[in-house]
Amino acid sequence: MCGIAGIVRPNESAVVTETALLRMARAIRHRGPDGFGLALDAGAGLVSSRLAIFDLPRGWQPIESEPLGSVLVYNGEVYNHPELRAELQRRGVAFKTTCDTELVLRLLDIDGLTALDRLNGQFAFAWWQPSHRRLTLVRDRFGVRPLYYALRDDGSIVFGSEAKALFASGEVSASPDFAGIDDIFTLWGPRAPRTTFEGVHQVPAGALVVWERGRIVVKRTWWRPEYHRPELVEGDLETLLRDSVRLRLRADVPVGTYLSGGLDSSLITALAQQETDHQLRTFSVAFKDPRYDERSHQEAVARAIGTLHHVVEATSRDIADTFPDVVRHAEMPLIRTAPVPLFLLARRVRERGITVVATGEGADELFWGYEIFKEVVLRDLNRREPDRAAELLGQIYSYLGPAATRRGPAWRRFLLETGSDDEQLGSHITRALATATVKSFLAPEIAETMNANASLERLRRELPPSFAHWSRLERAAWLELSTLLEPNLLAAQGDRVSMAHGVEGRYPFLDHRVFAHASRLPAHEKLDGMTEKVALRRLAAKVLPSAIAERVKQPYRAPEVTPFFGEDAPDWVEGLLSPAGLAETGLWDEQRVGGLLQRCRAGRVTGMRESMSFLGILSTQIWHREFVGRSSANYQPEERMPRVRIDRVQRATQEVA
Amino acid sequence: MSEGNGVRIDMRDYIEENFLYLYPGIALKDEDDFLTLGIVDSLGFVELVGEVQSRYGIPVEDIEITEENFGSIAAIERYVERKRTAA
Repeated sequence: MCGIAGIVRPNESAVVTETALLRMARAIRHRGPDGFGLALDAGAGLVSSRLAIFDLPRGWQPIESEPLGSVLVYNGEVYNHPELRAELQRRGVAFKTTCDTELVLRLLDIDGLTALDRLNGQFAFAWWQPSHRRLTLVRDRFGVRPLYYALRDDGSIVFGSEAKALFASGEVSASPDFAGIDDIFTLWGPRAPRTTFEGVHQVPAGALVVWERGRIVVKRTWWRPEYHRPELVEGDLETLLRDSVRLRLRADVPVGTYLSGGLDSSLITALAQQETDHQLRTFSVAFKDPRYDERSHQEAVARAIGTLHHVVEATSRDIADTFPDVVRHAEMPLIRTAPVPLFLLARRVRERGITVVATGEGADELFWGYEIFKEVVLRDLNRREPDRAAELLGQIYSYLGPAATRRGPAWRRFLLETGSDDEQLGSHITRALATATVKSFLAPEIAETMNANASLERLRRELPPSFAHWSRLERAAWLELSTLLEPNLLAAQGDRVSMAHGVEGRYPFLDHRVFAHASRLPAHEKLDGMTEKVALRRLAAKVLPSAIAERVKQPYRAPEVTPFFGEDAPDWVEGLLSPAGLAETGLWDEQRVGGLLQRCRAGRVTGMRESMSFLGILSTQIWHREFVGRSSANYQPEERMPRVRIDRVQRATQEVA
Repeated sequence: MSEGNGVRIDMRDYIEENFLYLYPGIALKDEDDFLTLGIVDSLGFVELVGEVQSRYGIPVEDIEITEENFGSIAAIERYVERKRTAA
């Protein structure tokens, strides 16, 4: 698990400076605090910062292959590497390490990109083939691991695990991409290949990009989520999930799990404990505010499974103080504080000496656990039996209050009628419109660049070919997977907050075999009326006490607005949002923001629309200050000695001499 | 000047301060429907009901939380008047 970065020029005589590479390595050192390595080739340079998980003494990168001369920098894990290595060994391939990095390079050298289909894991890598002057960038199926790149006018490609590595190179500058920001203010995250920075692209989940001699020659999706009906269900859920957990416990370092107190992480933890011979360590976020706190449930699960449990309590002050760090790591405006406690949690995990944690992420998308799926069911019901739908409306979003009977006509209007005629994005219109409230605070000249429906229109144009053949619920599931899980939950709330502390998250539900199984299950095995995750609950009932297996979902949330106001609030908040602070970025309308601030200060903010707006504004201000217009001179070079140094330029010079 | 006008003024101030600041382009008339205009969302509606309840000391029954009673400034005025008369 690591961070990777590099620069490749179209022409082999062009120079890539070591200083630029050292700055890039330093910018992502948090991803791989154990050390770094670099490879210098003619007109090319690649770096890797390493978090050692497999073959600790020998698994350093970059690695090169003889005699082809290809070089790999690689971030992530291929869990089935021992099986694949054994197979290659039978084919006569010799290995120097037991690390998955070497396995991936050998496989690529032998089988090319067809090898991707056989990799089970979460990874992003850059494969440099100097004989063709070809750089291939690849990202895993669900987009667990990030990968950014930018093309320069001279055809050079600059890439990195995080955009800050690109900026540190001095070859790419940070200016806002308002379409990417618009995606956040509509869908909660920028949809790949877009990012929040102009000219900086992401390799989409399950895709690859091939650059050759100065231009992109291939952009291809090598895996995409499909909902095949009425094909037969593949495999048995328990067997598949157990195997996925078993594979994700593979590491040469201790592995822990996150416990939210809900069904998904409890199930993963129970299965993980059954697969290991030592006492598992579990970690949870708790809150002072009882409305968010799930401590008692978490402790009950830990007791029932018999883990060694750690709790990190996030106070309001912690949330406000840490928010800027989280924005810096996420590299995007955020409309929720939910990633912050997970950032604090990862820090604690690291302090406890754990570098790998498994979590329940993905279960709600695969087994339709979110309330948004129930909205779809209720909207359908509303067409046939409006009274019954209105009655059931009281059962969803119970955590938002008020009591079901006091919800009145507004709830019905917003949840049952909004978007109900929209065949494609109907499930997500209510949320998108509520989120888009933040755009009403934009300065008029900026608002012009983000017209009301642009983000949704782009999404409509880019829907996968089979989308039209899926059911409403399957479409909603795809939208959750592609517009929320990958751009937000796995990024700002996943990779970025854990890798900020060199902690690797692993997601047993996001094994492509588990997805293939879940996607083929009949709808009622996922959502039956108002009961979610039916098949998972059945499995949970076998391995967990019934009180846990039957528990109704409580979504993970953190205090949103209150941490930033009142006596205990940090000073910088009012500074960033003052007329002078707003004028500095020129993004927001002073008068409207003033109105919102007044409500925030008075503690009157009640709804998601206002809290998302407030956080969107605040985080955009932080993001702008942190990145936009910042010179590469502000990025320090890596000062440690590299653990690997491949210098082909020097080698060639010596040979000539 | 009846008390009803007081409700109208109170509610207009309240709506302007808490919801309309976001929509400077909207010139809200007393009969305009909050939900249709989209200036009050589902949670805002609950906030509005709470405001009427506490400001005028009127216990609002679940069954009374309707657009007919809370959907516009004029609707709220009529509702408050009716409740006061009944009390």
